[in-house]
Amino acid sequence: MLRDITLGQYFPGNSVLHRLDPRMKIFLIVIYIVTIFTANTPVSFALVLASAFVLLFLSRIPAKLVLGGLKAVFIIMAFTAVINIFWTTGEELWLEAGPIKIYREGVEYAIFMIVRVVALIVGSSVLLTYTTSPIALTDGLERVLAPLKVLHVPVHEFSMMMTIALRFIPTLIEETDKIISAQKARGTDFTAGSLAQRARALIPIMVPLFVSAFHRADELAVAMECRCYRGGEGRTRMTRLHLHARDFVVLGAHIVLLAAVIALNIIF
Amino acid sequence: MMEHTPKISLENVTYRYSIGTPFEKAALQNVTLGFEGGIITGLMGHTGSGKSTIAQLLNGLLRPTEGTVRIDGQDIWEDPKKIGAVRFRVGLVFQYPEYQLFEETVARDIAYGPHNMGLDDDEIRRRVEEAARFTGITPDIFEKSPFELSGGQKRRVAIAGVMAMDPEILVLDEPAAGLDPKGRAEILGGIRAYQREKKNTIIIISHSMEDMALYADKLMVLDHGRVSRYGDAHEVFSHAEELKSVGLSRPQITKFVMELARAGVPVNGGIYSVEDAYKEVLRVFAEKKKGAK
Ligand SMILES: Nc1ncnc2c1ncn2[C@@H]1O[C@H](COP(=O)(O)OP(=O)(O)OP(=O)(O)O)[C@@H](O)[C@H]1O
Ligand SMILES: [Mg+2]
Repeated sequence: MLRDITLGQYFPGNSVLHRLDPRMKIFLIVIYIVTIFTANTPVSFALVLASAFVLLFLSRIPAKLVLGGLKAVFIIMAFTAVINIFWTTGEELWLEAGPIKIYREGVEYAIFMIVRVVALIVGSSVLLTYTTSPIALTDGLERVLAPLKVLHVPVHEFSMMMTIALRFIPTLIEETDKIISAQKARGTDFTAGSLAQRARALIPIMVPLFVSAFHRADELAVAMECRCYRGGEGRTRMTRLHLHARDFVVLGAHIVLLAAVIALNIIF
Repeated sequence: MMEHTPKISLENVTYRYSIGTPFEKAALQNVTLGFEGGIITGLMGHTGSGKSTIAQLLNGLLRPTEGTVRIDGQDIWEDPKKIGAVRFRVGLVFQYPEYQLFEETVARDIAYGPHNMGLDDDEIRRRVEEAARFTGITPDIFEKSPFELSGGQKRRVAIAGVMAMDPEILVLDEPAAGLDPKGRAEILGGIRAYQREKKNTIIIISHSMEDMALYADKLMVLDHGRVSRYGDAHEVFSHAEELKSVGLSRPQITKFVMELARAGVPVNGGIYSVEDAYKEVLRVFAEKKKGAK
């Protein structure tokens, strides 16, 4: 069912990663991504991969869940790996069978590519999406982007829109599920017939979905107005963000990781 | 427990939601129950007891994790490719079904199900008119957009949309929830009139003891995925303590009459509607008068 999709969903908990300041996490993600793309030797790749699993361990999120999320991109990974293996040319020929030539470089690229994607997905989902509630995430984003207000970028409005959008994703998924079931009970068949017929079968799903989404948006707007919402100007916060020692410890660890990767790149 | 072979039944059915995710949850655990054909059965149980899950298992929208669903003794999942046909045999009206309306006009929305069944236009028109009659939809709103209607009217259109498919078995999940007393009476009365004419099998899911005492032929009380009581209103409501323990209670009016009896008024118990209570009280008065003379 639709609701079983878990990639990119918040998983409540109380680990170190859950308690990090969201602003710091956004910053850490940037460092982490830079680290992943800096690595270019087997040893530094091994380190990057290991760090992704250290993060996974620290988050206390079931490994099954996070690795299950990788399934979604498995096909893309497999596909690019195959392309890399067969089409990369290099100096050291490993295998030749008729027109197929496999070079050491091709295999290496394929492996590096997979490590990169796995580290990227595991690391960033564990660091950000799984351990940061959507509210904390947009709150952090708003703060990090606050300097753009000088340039008249409506940072507060964007983050409010994002908060609302994130908040309603599960609701919409649930609603879509319900509508699909109700129309199936009236005999809608999404699997039979020509493409045009299948497209037509979507009308009974889309119409009620849009109607209720607009309805909900309307109600929400009225409810916000009733509680005197009038934009970010002069608005105070219920929870204030504070940087703690742990934020700096994790930041230090990330910087050390980046330094180590650079050093390993040079040494090996 | 049941004297007749049931029209539709669950056999040792277990259903788990979200299998293989951290949110996995068993909604039903090894449930066996059957519904008699040709009558209205009221299915009752506390919130979260699995009533809506049962409804969706009955028409094949959900497939049991374990166990079998049978119609006339035949396993509905014997050939999963033919599950679409089961959905035409077992109509299901969801809880708060208003959101499923989508067509440009009321008449076309009601006709959507019959149209999917591949019926011809004359037959569809006949069925739309019939379903509208039973649900109290007047022809003057046939050409209106369903989105212009009031909540109660939308509910009627949604129910009519499934009724028009003329299923052998019709399952309605809380068809009267959130309506005023008059609307409740009209909708439930319409469903009863429909059943009496078609002689088909109807299952109404409800929290309301009052409604079920009036409109259902048999009542089935669920408790922790088990049938804790089955019988007519009289049989079920005579077990007050047990009902209370599963989070349900007897109709207010029944309690009231029992209180009268306890206070020494010579009324008979076993009263489930205000109308019957009214007659009973009048009877007692009349007798008293006679006695006084
Ligand atoms: N889509 C779903 N995903 C996960 N769990 C669900 C889902 N739907 C229902 N459940 C769970 O299954 C159990 C039974 O739910 P169900 O909706 O069948 O109860 P119900 O008897 O219809 O309740 P109500 O009287 O409130 O309508 C509940 O504990 C509920 O939390
Ligand atoms: Mg329910």
